[in-house]
Amino acid sequence: MQLDEQAPLLRMRKASFRYPDAAEQVLKDVDLEIAPGCCYCLTGPTGSGKTTLARILSGLAPDGDGGGELEFAPAVASAAMPVGLVLQDPDVQLLASTVGAEVAFGLENLGVEPAAMPERVSAALTAVGLAKAHDFPVDKLSMGQKYRVLIAAHLVMEARLLILDEPGAQLDPEGLLQLRGLLERLKAAGIAVLLCEHRPEPLLAVIDEFWQLTGDGRLQPGRWTGTAVPSGSWSVPSCAGLSEALLHAEDLAFQGADGQDVWSGVGLELRRGERMVVTGLNGTGKTTLLRCLLGFLAPSGGQVSILDGLPEPGRLRGRVGLLFQNPQSQLFENTVREEISFALKRLGLARSTIAERVSQVLQGFGIEDLAEASPHKLSYGQKHLVALAAVLAPGPELLLLDDPLAGLDGYRSQEVLELLVRWSDHHNMALIWTSHEPDLEYPWAHRVLRLEGGRLVAA
Amino acid sequence: MGSRMPAAQGRLAQGGTRDDGIGRRMIVVMVLSCLAFLARRVELLLLLTGINAVAIFWLHRGPLSLRREMRTFAWQTAIILGLHLFRFRTMAGLWLGFKVSWQLFLALLPGMVFARTASQSGIVRVLTRVMPGRAAFVLSTCMRFIPRLLGEIKNIYEGQVLRGARILPRDLVRPWHWADLLHCVVVPAVVQGMALAGHIALAARARGFERFPRRTCWPGE
Repeated sequence: MQLDEQAPLLRMRKASFRYPDAAEQVLKDVDLEIAPGCCYCLTGPTGSGKTTLARILSGLAPDGDGGGELEFAPAVASAAMPVGLVLQDPDVQLLASTVGAEVAFGLENLGVEPAAMPERVSAALTAVGLAKAHDFPVDKLSMGQKYRVLIAAHLVMEARLLILDEPGAQLDPEGLLQLRGLLERLKAAGIAVLLCEHRPEPLLAVIDEFWQLTGDGRLQPGRWTGTAVPSGSWSVPSCAGLSEALLHAEDLAFQGADGQDVWSGVGLELRRGERMVVTGLNGTGKTTLLRCLLGFLAPSGGQVSILDGLPEPGRLRGRVGLLFQNPQSQLFENTVREEISFALKRLGLARSTIAERVSQVLQGFGIEDLAEASPHKLSYGQKHLVALAAVLAPGPELLLLDDPLAGLDGYRSQEVLELLVRWSDHHNMALIWTSHEPDLEYPWAHRVLRLEGGRLVAA
Repeated sequence: MGSRMPAAQGRLAQGGTRDDGIGRRMIVVMVLSCLAFLARRVELLLLLTGINAVAIFWLHRGPLSLRREMRTFAWQTAIILGLHLFRFRTMAGLWLGFKVSWQLFLALLPGMVFARTASQSGIVRVLTRVMPGRAAFVLSTCMRFIPRLLGEIKNIYEGQVLRGARILPRDLVRPWHWADLLHCVVVPAVVQGMALAGHIALAARARGFERFPRRTCWPGE
């Protein structure tokens, strides 16, 4: 396909959008142009409309009232699927079980003859630099490779613009490095890229232009100031004064279903009030480690002692909190107040005590105005806060968090982090925090460890 | 984009109609499952168990570890025995419960093994002969995402246990704790399931699903 290098691939004029139950438009009079071979980065706070704009550009506008014009260059408009959209979580987008079938999914939908598919699939895999057999299982790919398969799945449909929604939320530094190399090659081939990303640092080298959604629906030219990564103004805490051991693990090992060690020889000790970070690339077994420490999974070797006893979940109720990567999945009550009260009721506290504790938590988290709101109707960032408040309400002695900032913008990340550190200091609560971003700094942590090559080592 | 095929990508199926006997295997699986509902006597259940063992060897083309399936059977049996004990309070009641669990397991086992041993593309190719291509895709995708949904439910369950929900196996012996299971696990699991379905649908539409009336099928595995 021949494209005029100067002419834009697409133009958007005066685009606006309002969700059915929203008072305000999420996008207002958005104008933009996308040129071939350029990489743009769209930034903005969580909920500012980045994904909405990405969906409109790719012809998948959500339900709601929209207006404006979207115009494609003639050479692009003739393509079956000129815009490819790769969403945040690769695992929910992999619809087939093998690499070949996955990349060919779009061709199946376009009605391409089966005999013509293998050659086109091979070409797309070559373009993303992935030398895998067509029958290679997608489940055995690394997260970075899965991401490249998804890009190939759009290239095979002759996409001229690729929209990548928050690749940094799931990809570890290794995956992002691979992605950066791929984006350089795609740009050289004339393919435009739009990144919707809170933390574009690892991809800065390929970005040509920044745009910012300001939160009031307007799109402005932006520039990267490097403030999105939570930095905080904490001084490095000292372990002096922390004495009582809450958790002790010795020579811990865990074997996967294939009989191979996921990790082994893991030893750690956590004291009351201590904040520990465990980093590691995707698939190194961070979540598995948390599960073993809590007794939800049995290790294949070694011993764990937690709160002066064996790791038995029933014994740890109310004393240990656990928050997974998608904390809002734990919300189930009708109001925020009831959500926070739940754990307190199960502890058998008196009604007056529960009411008082809930008020304190709501106030401490600055969400008093949300007390009677449905947790399910809150924004992504607010749900995060409510889930955290619900876990902290019973006053756990230890909190385990599995990559808790994934998908949150810099402002919200900072807010969550400050709340946690303040709570930890005030209640002498110990923390274990896992992260797929080993390159970040954790100045608020007493200790940073790294899971690497099946061993837990000091970072 | 170049069109040269790298050496690593050489294992390709030719043509678009090959099904590797998946159609035949699917029929055997359905027949075995139906027979499980007819087998009520112990002798028949034993006979069917033997036939299943042979069929599993054939489905997998060799011996297959059934550790995961046996764990499911153990859980299912424990729950059914608990319910029968609650209802009948006799050994005869327990024996009846065990037979029901055995029958149910034999009805589910062939399907579980088939889902593990047949390729998704092959299943879609066979299903498209008897149902529209889109329906076949939706059915096979549902099967693919069951483990993911179970993983999400596990996360929810573990988080809620530590929040104090009375949903550990020993808690669930007391029926008045079942409300917690429904409230804290089933409700968020349904919400998560719907969200997952929404994400999958969006990912499929982003790659042209439902855009054109005719859908073809990948010829490989």
